[in-house]
Amino acid sequence: MAFVFNFPDVGEGIHEGRVVEWLVAEGAVVAEDQPLLKVETDKAVVELPSPKAGTVLKLHVPSDSVIEVGDALVTIGAEGESLPVDGEAKDGPALVAVPPPEQTPPPSRTGRRPLATPKTRSLARKLGVDLAMVKGSGSAGRITDEDVERAASAPSAPISVPAPKAAPAGVTASTVDGEVERVPLTHLRKVIAGAMRTSKQTSAHVTHVEEADVTELFAHYRSVKTEVESKGGRFTLLPFFIKALVTVLKDYPIFNATVDEEAAEILLKKYYNIGIAVDTPEGLIVPVIKGADGKDMLQLADEITDLAGRARERKLGLDELKGGTCTITNIGPLGGVFATPIINQPELAIIGLHKIQDRPVVVDGEIVVRKMMYLSISFDHRWIDGAEGARFMTDLVGLISKPGLLMARL
Amino acid sequence: MVVGSVSSGCQVVVIGAGPGGYVAALRLAQLGKDVILVEKSPRLGGVCLNVGCIPSKALIHAADLAYEVQHGGAMGLSVESLSVDLPKLVKWKDGIVERLTGGVEFLCSKNGVEVVHGSARFLTDRSLQVSSDDGQFEIQFEQAVIATGSSAMQLPNLPFDGERVIGSTEALSLQAVPKRMVVVGAGYIGLELGTVYAKLGSEVTVVEFLPEIVPGLDRDVAKALQRRLKKLKIKLMLNHRAESFDDGDDPSLVVTGPDGDEIRIPADVVMMSVGRIPRTKDLGLAEIGVETDDKGFINVNEKQQATAPGIYAIGDVVGGALLAHKAYQEAKVAAEVIAGEPAAFDNVTIPAVIYTDPEVAWAGLTEAEAVEQGYEIVTGRFDFKASGRAMTLDATDGFIKAIADAGTKQLLGVVAVGRGVSELMGEATLALEMGAFLEDIGLTIHPHPTMSEAFQEAVEAALGKAVHQVNK
Repeated sequence: MAFVFNFPDVGEGIHEGRVVEWLVAEGAVVAEDQPLLKVETDKAVVELPSPKAGTVLKLHVPSDSVIEVGDALVTIGAEGESLPVDGEAKDGPALVAVPPPEQTPPPSRTGRRPLATPKTRSLARKLGVDLAMVKGSGSAGRITDEDVERAASAPSAPISVPAPKAAPAGVTASTVDGEVERVPLTHLRKVIAGAMRTSKQTSAHVTHVEEADVTELFAHYRSVKTEVESKGGRFTLLPFFIKALVTVLKDYPIFNATVDEEAAEILLKKYYNIGIAVDTPEGLIVPVIKGADGKDMLQLADEITDLAGRARERKLGLDELKGGTCTITNIGPLGGVFATPIINQPELAIIGLHKIQDRPVVVDGEIVVRKMMYLSISFDHRWIDGAEGARFMTDLVGLISKPGLLMARL
Repeated sequence: MVVGSVSSGCQVVVIGAGPGGYVAALRLAQLGKDVILVEKSPRLGGVCLNVGCIPSKALIHAADLAYEVQHGGAMGLSVESLSVDLPKLVKWKDGIVERLTGGVEFLCSKNGVEVVHGSARFLTDRSLQVSSDDGQFEIQFEQAVIATGSSAMQLPNLPFDGERVIGSTEALSLQAVPKRMVVVGAGYIGLELGTVYAKLGSEVTVVEFLPEIVPGLDRDVAKALQRRLKKLKIKLMLNHRAESFDDGDDPSLVVTGPDGDEIRIPADVVMMSVGRIPRTKDLGLAEIGVETDDKGFINVNEKQQATAPGIYAIGDVVGGALLAHKAYQEAKVAAEVIAGEPAAFDNVTIPAVIYTDPEVAWAGLTEAEAVEQGYEIVTGRFDFKASGRAMTLDATDGFIKAIADAGTKQLLGVVAVGRGVSELMGEATLALEMGAFLEDIGLTIHPHPTMSEAFQEAVEAALGKAVHQVNK
């Protein structure tokens, strides 16, 4: 009995993906749990395992196509079974559920539909706007051309709707102003765009910047680096910052929280999952270090190396990208004085680590050269007041400036 | 390409040159595609132009004229004796058909559509074979549009013999008016042609297996139509099943009545109009992965795409309403989708007309359909007996009814029965596509005196403010 494997709901909030590549071909015999294909989702490239053993009878979607949860991916038959070839056998119960590739069911030509004229409906198709999602501004809710145009350019326009084929992507074309190259957006880019837009629309971002004297921390780090690395692995300053952050988060639980607005409740997380923003060639990915409070700095260093490496190879599992409670973005090595990071929803704060630099500062009335850095925090001013942010940063900088104090808190 | 050559290629091949096929081919050519149009019959235009809509309407008009001049006594008109020269009438009708099919040929040639004659069968999903008396050849294509249409269904117990037991095609070219004609099937074709021959002098009996005429028709409309059929002396036998034709000395159609009783209806000609079936059988569809439903109609989506990539289907062959204007629209959608445009069949409604006397027409939802879809409805009706224009036409039978959402007062449907109501459906359909509200129509000035005023009156009745009739 043939079985149709549909794109499963692989994780929270994920409703679409892109087939990166098929790992099996039609006719192949597969074992249960054998990877069938790679799918790029909002968060990662994941391999989907076969739910059962059998023969691959039909791949329903080609590589590089966009799929939605519930779409048929592959038909798997019993070993030796083949797809019926004649039309009559196709009506057999086994395959009735298989939708044809890239087909929508025949439209219902009656029934309620959005109030829009034929011209407006045509415009909506041209711009890839789903009229069911558009609120009409005309009389009795009539959808106007302007409503459609607004929906097409609005940030909430669903990114899954394919744009009309204006010109093939990746092609350079001449316009009156000069040459323009059309580069297709990657799936990850679209996802990042959506996430950033949502965050900016959701939170009342405010950024607070504080300065830290890391001369002592740096000396301390230098003194142990060689010895630690001699046992293998790479040791950086980042674990110190993670430990300092977790310590301060425990003192200020609102920075390690989310808000359930519907229930009008703050959810203070009693676990410390720290997201680390990683720059990959395809774009920003944020793997999460789970239970950072329970790990020592060497463990953290190893985990950072592993996660960052696999993030760049797009080999992270979905669960390694979910469940963060607070995020660090380490922009320092790339330069800049400081930045104003965007909060990783639904978290309430993100900490930016900036460049460490020798700078003249005044200590006890003397101008001396110290290793200085800026730390920034963007937090959601809806739930956290500016004073609280300032206190949080003062304490964080205090721990970073005095490693002895940090030790005392570990 | 010459017939007889081994193979040729094109971007798009269109199979069938009826209203779906020729419109698809023309639109594709306009969009810059290299198109071959394959037609089995020597003449373009399909059923509609050759043996359907157009020739039947020609005969209907002639029959109406013949009937009216004989029934103008109240207006002081009388004719001594009217003679009907049926061969001449058929020739006039054929002239119209030739003009129209010639027009299609002209448009094809002017638009650069290559026409080949023969029957097509898919070899692969990118090639097909065309067979004709001149031989066989192969056409390779990138996309194909299937527009092979439908043909009259035959009952196994009443096969067409071309003379006594005929289909609608033969009924359009009879050389003499039969004395007694029995029509099997009270659908729109049976009623239209039955009316023609009744008006030309035949004794017409319509036998219908179901308990109603034209399934799904608005009940009030059906009642009005049945009343008129009776006036035209057309005998309607509902709940009767046609069994066989006895071609003996006293030729008759044998039918079974509702109580199982056998009845013999004397008949010189029996016209079968029991439905139409899609022409999909010999195309080799299953081999290329084009799926059909249990009746053989091709499954398509709103872009007219069949279940095999690059294969499109339009018109009667995809089922739904078997109407030329539905095929026109589907043809344009398919052509534009093939050309990469974001087209889709998203029309609110496909209007329909039955050219009986009086005409029956509707657009949008009937009352029953609207209620079934969960609408709370309000209706308004205007009877032509109160219409000045209808009186001057001596055609006061019938009415027009507007159906609207009770809450929003958005127009949901229009049904009409009466003289020339086919021409009112353009306005009704536009109103539905534009999403008009009753007030939009009520506030629109309709020309006086016309039948179209009745639509405005019906709408105002639905709003409770009719002027030319008493509000309920």
